[in-house]
Amino acid sequence: MELYIGGRGQGKFDYARELHPDERWNVLDGETVSLDLTFGKMPGERAVIDHLHLWVKRCLQQGAEPEDALEGFLEWEPDCILICGEVGNGIVPMDPLERAYRERVGRIQIRLAARADRVERVFCGIGQRLK
Amino acid sequence: MMTLIIGGSGSGKSAFAEQLLCSRAENGRKYYLATMQVYDEEGRQKVERHRSLRQGKGFRTVECPAGIGQILPLLAGEGPGDACVLLECMSNLTANEMFGPRQKTAEETAETILAGIEAVRAGVRHLVIVSNNVFEDGEAYDPGTQEYLKALALVNRRLAGAAEEVIEVVAGLPAVIKHPHKTSGLNLV
Repeated sequence: MELYIGGRGQGKFDYARELHPDERWNVLDGETVSLDLTFGKMPGERAVIDHLHLWVKRCLQQGAEPEDALEGFLEWEPDCILICGEVGNGIVPMDPLERAYRERVGRIQIRLAARADRVERVFCGIGQRLK
Repeated sequence: MMTLIIGGSGSGKSAFAEQLLCSRAENGRKYYLATMQVYDEEGRQKVERHRSLRQGKGFRTVECPAGIGQILPLLAGEGPGDACVLLECMSNLTANEMFGPRQKTAEETAETILAGIEAVRAGVRHLVIVSNNVFEDGEAYDPGTQEYLKALALVNRRLAGAAEEVIEVVAGLPAVIKHPHKTSGLNLV
């Protein structure tokens, strides 16, 4: 599994794509993918979740536990690519859900980074390999 | 040569950028391109703080809130190509270009700025650009602000791709993202 993190507009997806030019990707968008992360895939395709942070936010809004669904997803797709926005480097918001969202995204990133084979932070389109 | 310096609010990016330019300029002429438009007392104080930071370092200040591409004749007066230029800050220049007399899209804003920067870069010895990291706070902004963030991110990314050197400033300390003598990003491990 590979994890790519970075701020808004930093070119995370393009950077990851350039590292794997010959792969066929099945890209799930965190903004629209089903909350339980079920999807159909052709043989030989690699599962990719883009905007993972938005999926986490949607889970929290609907009262679902993102960790459980993600665990199930990783069991089926141990070789996936996860792309997640950095959302924790700002003022801690007043709204409890917004606060929980930033906290959970950070905690999930830590868990994912611990088990990933490769972790990169993308900053201004340039990758820094952290692991 | 072009260097991009990025940091958050109060990270010490300005002081670091000035120091870097001074150390690289040696006896070359030093220019400070000031992009901030002053609207109120807070803005005036900010300008004052930056002026006193620069005091005694031999910078000539040129006001440039927009139209960066037209600035070159002002710098080349004493023999082109020798000037060392510090542009501060890209976040202001982007806002001024975008929300000018006619509001531009993110792409139009970025193209205008990048064409101007390319012209300046070609005419000076060393160009140091200070920009802002405002992309990691998770806020769901209104469409106008989102378009602005898109423009600034696009400008930063394109500048980082074209620059020989990219440095993130954290707590006043440099974290090198792109080293002038290496072609790819820095491996931390």
